[in-house]
Amino acid sequence: MSRICLLLCILAGPALLNTLRGDPPPSEAASSARTAALDVAGAFANDGFKLRDGFWSARIEKGARQTILVNLFAGNHYWFSVAASDGARPVIELFNEQGQRLEAEAWKDAARSAAGLSPAASGPYYLRIRLEEGGPADFCMVYSYK
Amino acid sequence: MPLPGRLIAPVAMIFCTAAGAVAAEPPLTAAEMQGAIQLDAVTIPTPGELFAAIGKIGKPSWASQYREPVSSTFPSRYQTALNMGALIADGFIAVEAQDGQQVKNIGRDIVALAKTLGVSESVVARGKSITDFAENNEWGTLKEELEATENEVKIAMEEQRDLDLVTLVSAGAWVRGTEVLTGVILADYSPAAARLLRQPAIVAYLRGKLNTLPPRIRSDESVALVATRLEAIEKLVSFPVNTPPEADGVRALHEATAGIIRDLGGRKNTP
Repeated sequence: MSRICLLLCILAGPALLNTLRGDPPPSEAASSARTAALDVAGAFANDGFKLRDGFWSARIEKGARQTILVNLFAGNHYWFSVAASDGARPVIELFNEQGQRLEAEAWKDAARSAAGLSPAASGPYYLRIRLEEGGPADFCMVYSYK
Repeated sequence: MPLPGRLIAPVAMIFCTAAGAVAAEPPLTAAEMQGAIQLDAVTIPTPGELFAAIGKIGKPSWASQYREPVSSTFPSRYQTALNMGALIADGFIAVEAQDGQQVKNIGRDIVALAKTLGVSESVVARGKSITDFAENNEWGTLKEELEATENEVKIAMEEQRDLDLVTLVSAGAWVRGTEVLTGVILADYSPAAARLLRQPAIVAYLRGKLNTLPPRIRSDESVALVATRLEAIEKLVSFPVNTPPEADGVRALHEATAGIIRDLGGRKNTP
């Protein structure tokens, strides 16, 4: 029950915020990307991962890349889940603070992918989203940890 | 890491180790790193993430990190927001300690502060859930509930166009979480545990956000206090990966963060 409430909160919060800020409400495509990303993360929850109550959502053009900074702790295990709209195939890549690509556990299907990492060192890391196929599209990234 | 079972059947999967497919990928450019997005809800880890990491290194005495109950009235909304963040971190500590009564007490205090900030509508329901879960010893669910509570407080602040308060909640939570983390590490020092304190980007982010607050907020005594002291704290959490601080360095960070929490709790501002 609590997990459902959490998911509803994540889903409903941005719409409310956008409305109050005067921004256009999230499109159906953005909402579907968010739902799909949460579905992947929900699966990791079955394996004991806690879903962080936050997300990163944006529009991405074909051929473009978007990067976000995260702070991770050694000892934790993380899964980053991303989904895209409009049939686009998103890819999520992990980099250390020097910008070097990290080997990560990887999972993907037609419109979603996930990358897993148990960082050896605490500190900042970068996540980069790009579209392997299709676009432009809305994407949403959420993450889980244990 | 086995793939979550629920996904195996319904989708056609490609499960690979990343090495082969990505070896040819170039590293991030300097522009990509400098232009990386930073979002409060993703970039700043929750106290729960921090405590999960330290919990793998040893068996901390979480209850030893409790503090006296905080006031529910502060001289400014900004100071209240900072204390709200610290209180949410206290909630995570009580959950780690699996102390139902303490969780309920803190849940009640969170609701009281939320009322002061005018963001209590959604939080009141959360407070009820927190109590119910605490009575049923649902510790995993409580962690999610606390994260959801923090998020709802921030959403409510955004609804009220109090966007600046969001940063203060995050700052309060991080400072209190770090005070506790350093306290736990000092109780049984090890270099492995001290490595968890390497968090330069978090402090840089918080300082950056505090420094861009409107002057009327930056001039609030409690906000100025945090902004000033984070400058020194940033140095203490910035160290090479393989050179964690010795116990003295951890103690310095503990005293710095504990000093902020103490002063935020007792400081009386002019209205």
